[in-house]
Amino acid sequence: MPTTWLILAIAALAALGFVAGRARAMTSAGGDARRLHSLPAYYGWNVALTVLTPALGLFVLWMLVQPFLVDRHVTGLIPDSAIGQGSSRGLVMSDVRRVAEGLSVLEARGADADDIAAMTPEALQDEMAAVGVALGTPMTPAVKAAAEAYRAETDGWRTWMGVAVLAAALGGLALSWRMTDKDFRARNTVERGILFMLLGAALVAILTTLGIVLSMLFETANFFEAYPWQKFFLGTNWAPDFRGNSELAILPLLWGTLYISLIALLVAVPIGLFAAIYLSEYATKRVRTLAKPAIEILAGIPTIVYGLFALITVGPMLRDWLAQPLGFGNSSSSVMTAGLVMGIMLIPFVSSLSDDIINAVPQSLRDGSYGLGATQSETIKQVIVPAALPGIVGAILLAASRAIGETMIVVLGAGAAAAQFNQGLGEVVNPFQAMTTITVKIVSQLTGDTDFSSPETLVAFALGLTLFVITLGLNVLALWIVRRYREQYE
Amino acid sequence: MNDMRLIDRKTTMNEIKIAAEGVDVFYGESHALKDVSVDIEERTVTAFIGPSGCGKSTFLRCLNRMNDTIPTARVTGRITLDGEDIYAPSVDPVQLRAKVGMVFQKPNPFPKSIYDNVAYGPRIHGLSRNKAELDEIVENSLRRAALWDEAKDRLAEPGTGLSGGQQQRLCIARAVATAPEVLLMDEPCSALDPIATAQVEELIDELRQNFSVVIVTHSMQQAARVSQKTAFFHLGHLVEYDDTDTIFQNPRDTRTESYITGRIG
Ligand SMILES: Nc1ncnc2c1ncn2[C@@H]1O[C@H](COP(=O)(O)OP(=O)(O)OP(=O)(O)O)[C@@H](O)[C@H]1O
Ligand SMILES: [Mg+2]
Repeated sequence: MPTTWLILAIAALAALGFVAGRARAMTSAGGDARRLHSLPAYYGWNVALTVLTPALGLFVLWMLVQPFLVDRHVTGLIPDSAIGQGSSRGLVMSDVRRVAEGLSVLEARGADADDIAAMTPEALQDEMAAVGVALGTPMTPAVKAAAEAYRAETDGWRTWMGVAVLAAALGGLALSWRMTDKDFRARNTVERGILFMLLGAALVAILTTLGIVLSMLFETANFFEAYPWQKFFLGTNWAPDFRGNSELAILPLLWGTLYISLIALLVAVPIGLFAAIYLSEYATKRVRTLAKPAIEILAGIPTIVYGLFALITVGPMLRDWLAQPLGFGNSSSSVMTAGLVMGIMLIPFVSSLSDDIINAVPQSLRDGSYGLGATQSETIKQVIVPAALPGIVGAILLAASRAIGETMIVVLGAGAAAAQFNQGLGEVVNPFQAMTTITVKIVSQLTGDTDFSSPETLVAFALGLTLFVITLGLNVLALWIVRRYREQYE
Repeated sequence: MNDMRLIDRKTTMNEIKIAAEGVDVFYGESHALKDVSVDIEERTVTAFIGPSGCGKSTFLRCLNRMNDTIPTARVTGRITLDGEDIYAPSVDPVQLRAKVGMVFQKPNPFPKSIYDNVAYGPRIHGLSRNKAELDEIVENSLRRAALWDEAKDRLAEPGTGLSGGQQQRLCIARAVATAPEVLLMDEPCSALDPIATAQVEELIDELRQNFSVVIVTHSMQQAARVSQKTAFFHLGHLVEYDDTDTIFQNPRDTRTESYITGRIG
C-alpha cells in the first residue's frame, strides 16, 4: 500500500508543519500573540496548506496522466502479428491491462515473481482464473510480455511519483516555514487559499454540467449527420427500426410528455395548493406537525413503487370504471393512469414549497387585511395567495420539470407505445389511450444491443438534449420568478 | 410647553363611543394589561401615551378585537361600542373591524398596486357601485392621507415600491377608504417627516368632524397638538385619563408628570 503511506506521510508533514509554523511565529513575536499580524493558528494553517496543496495537486495530476503515458508506450510494444483476426489493438490492450492486474493480485498473494515470469501463458491464465481474474480470450506470449512491461513501467513511475510528491511536500514545508515571521500576513494568505478551494468546488459543479451538455451536443451532432433535423423536429411519426429506414420524429413523444405532465399538474397543483393553504392558514399547530411530514412521505416513495401502483391498481380501475363504460377504449395503460399517479407523486412538491412560501408572507399583511374588516378567506384569496403567487408558480414549475423527466411511472402506467398521429387526432387526445414520453424512449433506444453509430441509437441523445433544454428553460423561469418574488419584500 | 400649537378644545361633553371597563389582557402567562377602564368619546381624538412596552398597542388591539388573531392573547373585561358588547358571542369581529379601522405601527402595504391597496376595503365591503365611484373613493382617501400628489401618476405601481413614509400614508389612506366610525392609529407618524406629519395631523383633526380617532404616540407635542383627551399608560396600568390640557398642564399623578417632562421613559 505505498500510496496510502504516501498520503499519510504528507498528512503527517502537514501536521508537523502546522505545529512548527505556529511555534516559529510565536517565537518571532517573542511569545506575545498580540505582536503577530494574524492569530497564531493562521501561521500554522499557512504552513500546513503550503505542504498539502502542491503535494496533493501533483499527486492527482500524476495519477491522471501516468496511465495514459504508460498505455501509449505499451501499446507500441505489441507487435501487429499479435493482433488476431477481428480483434483490435484496443481490445488487446484491455487484455494486457487485465493480465497486469492479475499479476498484481498473484503477487499480493505471495506468488514468486520469477516463477511467474517462467510460466507459459496458458499456465499463467489458469493460475489467474484460480484467483478470480478471468480473461475472455486465450493469453498469447505477446500479451504476457506486454503485461509484464506494463506492470514494470507502472511500478517504476509510481516510485518516481512518491519521490516527487514527497519532494513537493518538503519543498512547501521549507518555503513556508522560512516565510513565517511576525509581520507575515498569514491570515490573508490562508483566506486566499480557502477562497480558491471554495471556487474549485463551485467549478466542479459547473464544469460537470458543461461536460454533460458538451457530450450530449457532440452525440446530437452525430445524430443530425445521420438523420435530417427537419424530419426529427417536424415529422409526425415515431417508428424506429434497427434495420434502417426509421422514422424518428420527436413530436409524438413530446406530445406524450406534455400531455401526461399536464394531467399530473392538473392533479397536483390544486390538491397541493389547497393542502398548503389548509396547513399554513387553518390547521392548528398539532395537526400541522403531524400532517406536514405525512404529506412529505409521498415524496420519499420511490417512483417504481408509484409505477407498480399505477400498473396493478389505478390502471385496471380506470379501465373498468371509466374507459370501458364510456367507450374510450380498453387499455389499462393510459395517459390518465400515468398522469394521475404522477400527480399524486407531485403533491408534496407543490404543497411543501407552497406551504413554506405562504408561511413566509409577513404576519403584518394578514393583520393589515383583518384590520380593514376582511374575513380569513378574503384575506387568503386577495392578499396571501397573490403575495405568495410568484413563489407558488416557482414551486409549480419545479414540479413540472419533475413531471417531464419522470420515466418509471410512465413505463408502467402509460406503456411504451408512442402516440400515433397517423391514426387521427381523436386517438391522440384520448386520455385513455396508451402513450409514452421522451424519457421512456431514450431508455428503450439505449437498452439491448446498441451500436453507437446508428441514428436509432443516437436519437436518444437528441431527445435527451431537447428534454434538457425544456427542463432547463422551466428551471430558469422558476428561478427568475422566485427572484422577483424575493424583491417584493426588500 | 409654551410653543405648542394648542387647538381650541371642545369643552362640551360628547357621547361615549367606546367604553372599556376592567380590561385585562394576558399573553400566555404574562399579564400585559391590568384593569384598564377608558371611555372614548365620539368626535374626539384620544391620545394614548406611555413608555415603550406599557401596553398601548395591546389596548388598541382590544378595541377592534385584533388580539383574536394572536393565539396566546386572552382578553377579559367588558368593551362596548355604541353600548353593544363587542366581545359578545353574537358579534362578528369582521364586521366590527370594518367599523373600527386600524393603522399599524409598521407600514404594511399589500403587494398590490397603490390603487388596489386603497380600493381593498371598499371592494370587500361593497362601498362603491361602479368604477367611477371607486376611483373617487381612492382619490379622496389618497388626498386625505396627503399622498395624492405623489401617487397620482403611479397608481398602477406596487405599493411596496413607495418609501417608508409614503407607505405609511398609503396605509392611512387604505384605512380611511373603508369609512370606519372609529380609527385606531398606532404611532402613525413614527416614519414620517415633519411635513407629512403635519399633513397627517391635519387629517386627524379633519376626521374628528365625523369619527372618533384613537392615536398612540411617543411624541408629547403631537399628543398635545392633536388630541382632546389623553390616557397615560405605565407598566400595563392606566395611570391617568383626562382632558389633554389637564394631563399636560396639571397632571394629578406624579408618574404622569415625570413622563411628560421626560424624567421617566
Ligand atoms: N404577541 C405578543 N405575545 C406576547 N407578548 C406580547 C405580544 N405583544 C405584546 N406583548 C407584550 O405585552 C406588553 C405590552 O406590549 P405593547 O406592544 O402593547 O407595548 P406598547 O406600549 O405598544 O409599546 P411600544 O411603544 O414600544 O409600541 C409588552 O411587555 C410586550 O412584550
Ligand atoms: Mg406599540
